[in-house]
Amino acid sequence: MERVLTHLALILAAVICAAPFFYVIAASLKDQGSLFHYPPVWVQIPPYTGNYERLLFDSGFPRWMLNTLFVASTVTGLKLVLDSMAGYALAKLEFTGKRVIFVLMLTLLMVPFAALLIPLWSIAHNLHITNTYLALILPPLANPLGVFLMRQFILGLPKDLENAARLEGVSEFGIYWRIILPLVKPGLVVLAVIIFTDQFMSFIWPLVATTRDDLLVLTVGVAGLRAKGGVNFGLWSAAAVMSLVPIAVFFFALQRQFLARSMAGALKQ
Amino acid sequence: MSVSLPHPDGAVDAFAIELLGVTKRYGDFVALQGIDLDIAPGEFVVLLGPSGCGKSTLLKIIAGLEDASEGEVYINGQLANYLRPKERDVAMVFQNYALYPHMTVETNIGFPLAMRRHTKAAVAERVREVAALVGLTDHLRKYPDQLSGGQRQRVALGRAIIREPVAFLMDEPLSNLDALLRVQMRSELLKLHKRVGRTTIYVTHDQIEAMTMADRIVVLRDGVMQQVGTPREVYSRPANTFTAIFVGSPPMNLIPGRLLTADGGQRFQGPISVDLAALGPMAGVGEEITLGVRPENVELSGSGDAATIPGRVELIESVGADTYLSIAVAEGTTVMVRVSADTSVQEGDCLHLRFPPQRLLLFDPAGNRVTLPGEPA
Repeated sequence: MERVLTHLALILAAVICAAPFFYVIAASLKDQGSLFHYPPVWVQIPPYTGNYERLLFDSGFPRWMLNTLFVASTVTGLKLVLDSMAGYALAKLEFTGKRVIFVLMLTLLMVPFAALLIPLWSIAHNLHITNTYLALILPPLANPLGVFLMRQFILGLPKDLENAARLEGVSEFGIYWRIILPLVKPGLVVLAVIIFTDQFMSFIWPLVATTRDDLLVLTVGVAGLRAKGGVNFGLWSAAAVMSLVPIAVFFFALQRQFLARSMAGALKQ
Repeated sequence: MSVSLPHPDGAVDAFAIELLGVTKRYGDFVALQGIDLDIAPGEFVVLLGPSGCGKSTLLKIIAGLEDASEGEVYINGQLANYLRPKERDVAMVFQNYALYPHMTVETNIGFPLAMRRHTKAAVAERVREVAALVGLTDHLRKYPDQLSGGQRQRVALGRAIIREPVAFLMDEPLSNLDALLRVQMRSELLKLHKRVGRTTIYVTHDQIEAMTMADRIVVLRDGVMQQVGTPREVYSRPANTFTAIFVGSPPMNLIPGRLLTADGGQRFQGPISVDLAALGPMAGVGEEITLGVRPENVELSGSGDAATIPGRVELIESVGADTYLSIAVAEGTTVMVRVSADTSVQEGDCLHLRFPPQRLLLFDPAGNRVTLPGEPA
């Protein structure tokens, strides 16, 4: 009986979680008539594919998707390298000003993005990079969250691992590359997911930094559908579904990496 | 840039490792104070001392992982102070093994050679040889987390011995193994040392490990070297009361008192009185002195005479082959006596203790052992 109740509760929770997805997917496969039909039509049969056709062949959606993937991947790749290197330096190396840099980074974490928006735009404008890919790629690289995360991950690694490598003549970069990076792989994966999804969903900065149509990213482009195409819930739902695809693929592809070999066995227990 | 200078005396290869006045300070805290030590090639030297005495720091200074604040380190006759760890040609076994968890046993053991750009075939062959030496041939494809504590320890050893360095530096490698495995690994380490024949500096706080493994023991306390000697010397002629207590289990009995003249000789007068006439005349009559005697050197006698000290058995601890008796000989003074397990004694029994003069040690007020008449200084 207890098992049945547990399962019922779980099923209910699953339904609540899945309902919005079902609703969006169902709406994306309805024409205008079915969308506003009363009593409501749960699933239109046969499904209406017009929304997807219009989105893919009669809007800038493919371009927005490419732009988004390009920007999000580039930022993710660059940030993983920069953050892990900076995290290693802050965690394991001794240099003048280390504490000051770390405190500055923590301080920056506390500043809301809205407060940075105008100065950031001003800097980008003065650098003449607004309305370029650089405007979308460079500013997110300065987000200190990744450095902080990597520092904490690397700080947890025992010093003897580096010392053992140092005795064998491994260079500082070699220690970072051969010893530290493989050991913080789960941390890198977490960071990659955070950065990629953050970039994928980033709206305000791309909206401010770019005005050219060929530079629009998904979030800005999809929001623009309302302005250009009038009220079309089916089209918007199709855009929402299509926007979810890459991020879902990315997430599931990396999920296996969360289970990467842990620190077990490195040290005596 | 690394600089390697020859020894000022021109001595090359006389010592595998030589330390001259090595001092290490962290701010105002002195971790090591003027350490002078020569270690011959092939010697097994144990650095022994309580936690925080500076023994691991000394090992790291030799390895080049820490810099000495003062003093010189010579490795193979070359000044090593300015050499990077790699250039010192020493291998280290860390307290927590420091195995790379993302590498197999094979890659872990072969890592030092791979980093020195040996060919893959050469590394693989040498890994096989070393794995056979440390008994890991069947585990080469496994990862460290698939191994037992003893096997991990062997991987760490294998990684150290694969490139035949000038010296092995071992930082409490057995400290976290369980008691049985520790005894087993201890003898395996010794066998390995005999086979490989390299200079080894071994850090431990376990005096049993030090006594059983060392050619020489270096006793450290608060960064200061207390004594250097063979296990026998350190045990039977401790330089001071610290070594006397730290080495030996149960520790040496130390009884404070004074040296007095008696009829035709001298005697120790404290909570108990011991005739020292047999030791010959000593300087320092009237001064405070501490009498030391190992538990196994106290003799029990059934009947009392003028030379025996009466006492009451307070506690009996049986440790298998031996039994330790805590015997109260005066108010607040207890003497630990080691007897064989078949000795029939009950708590509360009154016994008579005899302290054989030739087995006694005397320590001055500063705690240093007094050289007895006729004893080489």
